[in-house]
Amino acid sequence: MSTAIAIVPLRNLCRVQKFLPLAASPPPWSLPLGRRTIYHGDYRRPGQTRDNRWPWQKINFDFSKGVEGIRKHFGLLKDEFVQRWKGPEGRPLLEIMLEQTRVLWDFRGPGSLENWIVSSDREIGGRSEAYLKLGRNSTTCLLYGTLCSVPPRDGETRYSGYCTMRSSQPKGSFDRKKHYDLSSFNTLHLRVRGDGRPWMINVGAETYFSHQKDDIYSYFLYTRGGPYWQDVKIPFSKFFLSSRGRIQDDQHSLWLDKVNTIGFTLGDKADGPFQLEIDFIGVCNDPAHNEDFAYEVYKRNPNV
Amino acid sequence: MNSARRLLQTQYFRCLAAAPNYRASVQHVVFAHPPRRTSLSQLQWPRSFHGSPGCSQNRPVTTAVGQGGEKKEKSLVTYDELFEQVARDAKSKATFNRVVDIFSKRDVRRRGHVEFIYAALKKMPEFGVERDIAVYNKLLDVFPKEVLVARNFIQRMFNHYPRQQECGVQVLEQMENYGIMPNVETKVLLVQIFGDKSHPVRKYQRLMYWFPKFKHANPFPVPRDLPQDPVDLARLSLGRIANDLDSTTTVYQMPSTDLSETGEEISLPHIVGTQSPDQRSLLAKHNPSRPVFVEGPLPLWLRGTCVYYYVLRADPPPPEEKVEEPCDPELFGPGQSIFYPLVVDLALDRDLGDDYSFDVDDVEEGVVYAMCMTGQGDQATLGRWISGLQETNPILGQIPTLFRLESGPRELQGASETPRGPDIEAEPRTMEHEPFPEEEHQHSQGMKQ
Repeated sequence: MSTAIAIVPLRNLCRVQKFLPLAASPPPWSLPLGRRTIYHGDYRRPGQTRDNRWPWQKINFDFSKGVEGIRKHFGLLKDEFVQRWKGPEGRPLLEIMLEQTRVLWDFRGPGSLENWIVSSDREIGGRSEAYLKLGRNSTTCLLYGTLCSVPPRDGETRYSGYCTMRSSQPKGSFDRKKHYDLSSFNTLHLRVRGDGRPWMINVGAETYFSHQKDDIYSYFLYTRGGPYWQDVKIPFSKFFLSSRGRIQDDQHSLWLDKVNTIGFTLGDKADGPFQLEIDFIGVCNDPAHNEDFAYEVYKRNPNV
Repeated sequence: MNSARRLLQTQYFRCLAAAPNYRASVQHVVFAHPPRRTSLSQLQWPRSFHGSPGCSQNRPVTTAVGQGGEKKEKSLVTYDELFEQVARDAKSKATFNRVVDIFSKRDVRRRGHVEFIYAALKKMPEFGVERDIAVYNKLLDVFPKEVLVARNFIQRMFNHYPRQQECGVQVLEQMENYGIMPNVETKVLLVQIFGDKSHPVRKYQRLMYWFPKFKHANPFPVPRDLPQDPVDLARLSLGRIANDLDSTTTVYQMPSTDLSETGEEISLPHIVGTQSPDQRSLLAKHNPSRPVFVEGPLPLWLRGTCVYYYVLRADPPPPEEKVEEPCDPELFGPGQSIFYPLVVDLALDRDLGDDYSFDVDDVEEGVVYAMCMTGQGDQATLGRWISGLQETNPILGQIPTLFRLESGPRELQGASETPRGPDIEAEPRTMEHEPFPEEEHQHSQGMKQ
């Protein structure tokens, strides 16, 4: 899908200034929660030295880690075998067939934050900060921090200022990829409390080719602000395809049978503190909504 | 797009008219417009330079920069200095336009226009013209017309004049970032400069496709220009967060400055509060032995500006105090009449298995009784708000009121610049029941009976 990008690869707005090469050690990004994996972290900052290690040099051969991994993965494997007796995914078949709503994530207790990856434009050299913690009664998730949209002075980066939170990809035993199958639902349901800033919800689905790995389906999450909770229902048909921050020309509807991640991004260029409190993230089946895709999919003239 | 086509047509006819072999049928169209100069230099169609229809008047080709302009052209041209030089006294739209005019008149060939446009794009927020579509059009007008248009399919294939096209896309991208919708004039200019199906025209088409789609996507729109008066701003933001049409917004105190006996100025900040009838009835049912809390300041963002509000709320009631609303036996259960039921829970489109509720525990939170915004978030001012609330809620006289105030908005903004860990965030909760030591006021006990 991203082959259809017709955007001109823009050169630098400003001339590349002479920058000092950074030290060989990786920069001390202090992200509080899990860092991005090798697969995701293919962005190399301008001026950063290339990682010349061999792939096996990056692997941590640790005995205790191996034992822990064996225990975890064989436990998962056992679960996968045993759960089949009950039904798919360990739930009775009747429950799956009749369900109209499903709660994907709720934040009840400290263990619920482990599956989330928080990052900000620190990765590209910006100055925003984002943290994730549990809310007052340990029943909500509070994403807070400071947004700063001053671009890093590396001569190439032109825009900066984002903070994002993304769920990690579900994995089965032996790190096999698993996906959320949401094909029986058509609406995303969130219960959030923001501070009036607009956010963007990004849904990442499984793709076939590797050049589609940055494909993301996005829609806006407008928060009202104030002390009250806000129930937001967004039909999945409204999500539009974008790749690397650019809306794509040929749009496709989001295929819900293999959903990998869901994320929240803030980048509204209003510098200052922000916060977003999330109660739960669920999906539901809205029978009144029968739209497949909200945007034109036919060949348009002019073919933009 | 009719007007665009007409504009293009007229431009095309002008070109034809300048050429020697124009047809007679064209002529009357040409003379509907003011006849252009027909000097010999104009006859070199199609490679001559043409202005846009907006500036088709005779343009004296003079170097109007002044004395400094001549020298600078020999050296490496820095266009930032041109802006600084012209707009030394005032930075406004007029001076920005003057700089663009000076550049356009300096050289027929518009040498260095890409660099100039990049410099101008950077200077736009400084001059306060970043939201002005006319200025963007004027900037696009700097590009020479019809020179950069691809003339055969090979040129079209191989990214004709890439630097210029990137520059044109950059102008459009800055418009996109500021949320400016291009207009017909932009399109005409782009087609004239780069030709149709060029990258800037594509970018224009994308903007025109996606911008109207998301123009009204926000269900809670914020006006572009917020009111300057703090009381009006407080009304607007309280009406936004209250989310209740029944709620009444009261101005408890207008901002004013008084002179005390000793001669020093006392400025009274504004206090604007809101409360809905539901909140009032909930507050009337509040157990007077349990305190209510004034919390804040809580941030609210309206586009680029941040305002702070305070809430009056209670803690969640402990489980032993929770009063189950007694069900009216006449409404539910066997007590109600079979023939004339008062409540019918029946939806024809709902099947037996349909359950649209979510399987999550409710978040236990205290009830919000009122909200307010004030110019000065200290305990004395908020105490004045509480005493103002007492007029409509007499029960507040019996309920103890505690102030859980965090550091004010100014300190918050200062603290945002310093690195701030998650451990600091939990700190203000520890000082809940302690009064502010510096407040020598009647409410400084933190308790109000």
